Amino acid sequence: MNLIEATDLRKTYRLSRRTTVEALLGVDVSIKAGEMVAIMGPSGSGKSTLMHLLGLLHSPDTDDGPKPTLWIDGVDATTLSDRDRTQIRARSMGFVFQSFNLVPTPAAAENVALAAEYAGTSRGAARTAAREALASVGLADRAGHRPMELSGGEQQRVAIARALVNDPKLILGDEPTGNLDSARAVDVLGVLRRINRERGHTVLLVTHDAEVGAACDRVIRMRDGRVIADERVTDMTAVAA
Amino acid sequence: MRLLRELSRRKLRTTLTILGITIGIWALVVFSSLANKINSFISTGGDLYAGKIIVTDGEPFGTSPITLSAADDIARLAGVAAVDPQVLVPWEADGTGGGFGIQKLVVGSVPGADKGLGYQLELATGRALTAQDTGDVVVLGSDLAREFGVVAGGTVQIHGRAFQVIGTYLPTLAAPDADAKVPLATAQEMYRALLPPLFADAVVAADIANQFIVYPEEGQDADAIALTIEATVANSVALSGAQFDEVIGGPTLIFNAIIVGVALISLVVGGLSVINTMAMSVTERTREIGIKRAIGGSRRRIVRELVTEAGLIGLIGGLLGVALGAVVVVLANDLGRSSGTVLFDLTPGTALFAIAFGTILGMIAGIVPAWGAARLDPVAALRYE
Repeated sequence: MNLIEATDLRKTYRLSRRTTVEALLGVDVSIKAGEMVAIMGPSGSGKSTLMHLLGLLHSPDTDDGPKPTLWIDGVDATTLSDRDRTQIRARSMGFVFQSFNLVPTPAAAENVALAAEYAGTSRGAARTAAREALASVGLADRAGHRPMELSGGEQQRVAIARALVNDPKLILGDEPTGNLDSARAVDVLGVLRRINRERGHTVLLVTHDAEVGAACDRVIRMRDGRVIADERVTDMTAVAA
Repeated sequence: MRLLRELSRRKLRTTLTILGITIGIWALVVFSSLANKINSFISTGGDLYAGKIIVTDGEPFGTSPITLSAADDIARLAGVAAVDPQVLVPWEADGTGGGFGIQKLVVGSVPGADKGLGYQLELATGRALTAQDTGDVVVLGSDLAREFGVVAGGTVQIHGRAFQVIGTYLPTLAAPDADAKVPLATAQEMYRALLPPLFADAVVAADIANQFIVYPEEGQDADAIALTIEATVANSVALSGAQFDEVIGGPTLIFNAIIVGVALISLVVGGLSVINTMAMSVTERTREIGIKRAIGGSRRRIVRELVTEAGLIGLIGGLLGVALGAVVVVLANDLGRSSGTVLFDLTPGTALFAIAFGTILGMIAGIVPAWGAARLDPVAALRYE
């Protein structure tokens, strides 16, 4: 069964009264549960926009053209209220961003616990879950550190722990290795690959790093707001080419 | 804890905002305490004079002052139950009675003349005057007892004479606290001694009375009797309890409104500074709010977090303001006590109201910026630098 089933996704951003940017011009995507998929493409290709739509952070345009559909885990996301979409983000999705995006004041464990609380977990249980999630990314000993006191790689692993804490079906990563040196990038990618294999989370990554794409099961290539290729990764050379 | 850490992130600005609220609450506490004191003075005053008629000289030290004989004229009027003739003498021989506070007075009266209809003061020490008491004996109101540090059995100097204190009263928070009760004859003689020598020669001490407290019979119209008294006794002014309330109560309400108004204005300024602080805080934390929205923080939750934070600013300001106000009230009352002028009355109700007011003010001021934050587009907020 497909975790995500989307057709005719379009998005136009209005930057000012006269300037609009057509970011997505009609995209169909389906992602199977348990897959690890990379969305690749140059800047401006619409890959981030696609992820924002699939992550329910934005809604697809509904005017001018065929009606878009967006099914996530059997739910029609095009008709949901902001409140319902927020709930799905809290309970069924985990987000990992390029610039880590941890809340600066609370310690690592509290950052992770916050996501659990948003999903409706009690404060005590959230704390326990946060410690477990941090341990699963190898940061048990950093639980009490504030983001400022952690290295970039460590911060990103805290962010992954935060994305994992509610055991979500889908983990979305927007250039998760983009701000890391290559050693740390390999490290973070390894963590993502491992949780996909061992725990069955579906992982969807936006990246222009070919090595990230090579580590995934499938690569969706985009250009100018459209999908231009959708290929299974067989070996590294196929992706790099 | 989490919240306190958020506040401590911007120490200077948060401190200044809290200070703004503190000053507003401080002003509210001090002014309300002043209003409390005045109100309790007025309401006890109202009780003291309720249902009574106060008859005084229409023209103090005039050519034909009212005399003790008027007491009999008034007592004969229909509807009058009792007449309590009194002689009021300033506490200080030079005629001063103690500045802005309640006038300190020596009050001479005949015990029992009110036939038990008067306001019954409660004794703190010793006993009340009786008809058998004569000479330089005195029962002191609570302010006087405290000012001179005496209780029953001690002595106190009045007009250069040593009076034996036979009793002291409990506080009423009203005029009687500054009254020294002496036998009528003693007050008459003290009064005469204050008159200019030539004038004094023409006055018989035993005839002196400068105030009558008139008690109407049950169910009688005090206002009507007051009018009859004014018609009967030459040169007299008769004021009933209801009129007392009008004369004193009206201006007091306006006074209360003014001082509480001043305090409220300072709170509005404090409230605006909370709005400003929270608005800036929201702008600074745009990205953080975007993160929280993205990972599943609901709008309601974002609003709640920020409103709670603003409420905490208000609460801290409120607590500090009340504490500061209490310090001022206690110090001012201590200073005033030596002169018998206790101006402030900080009640627990006022303190609680002020703290609650500060907190709610903070929360209300936080709502607008918080709502703005909750409406942010999470993606745009995440890109915000």
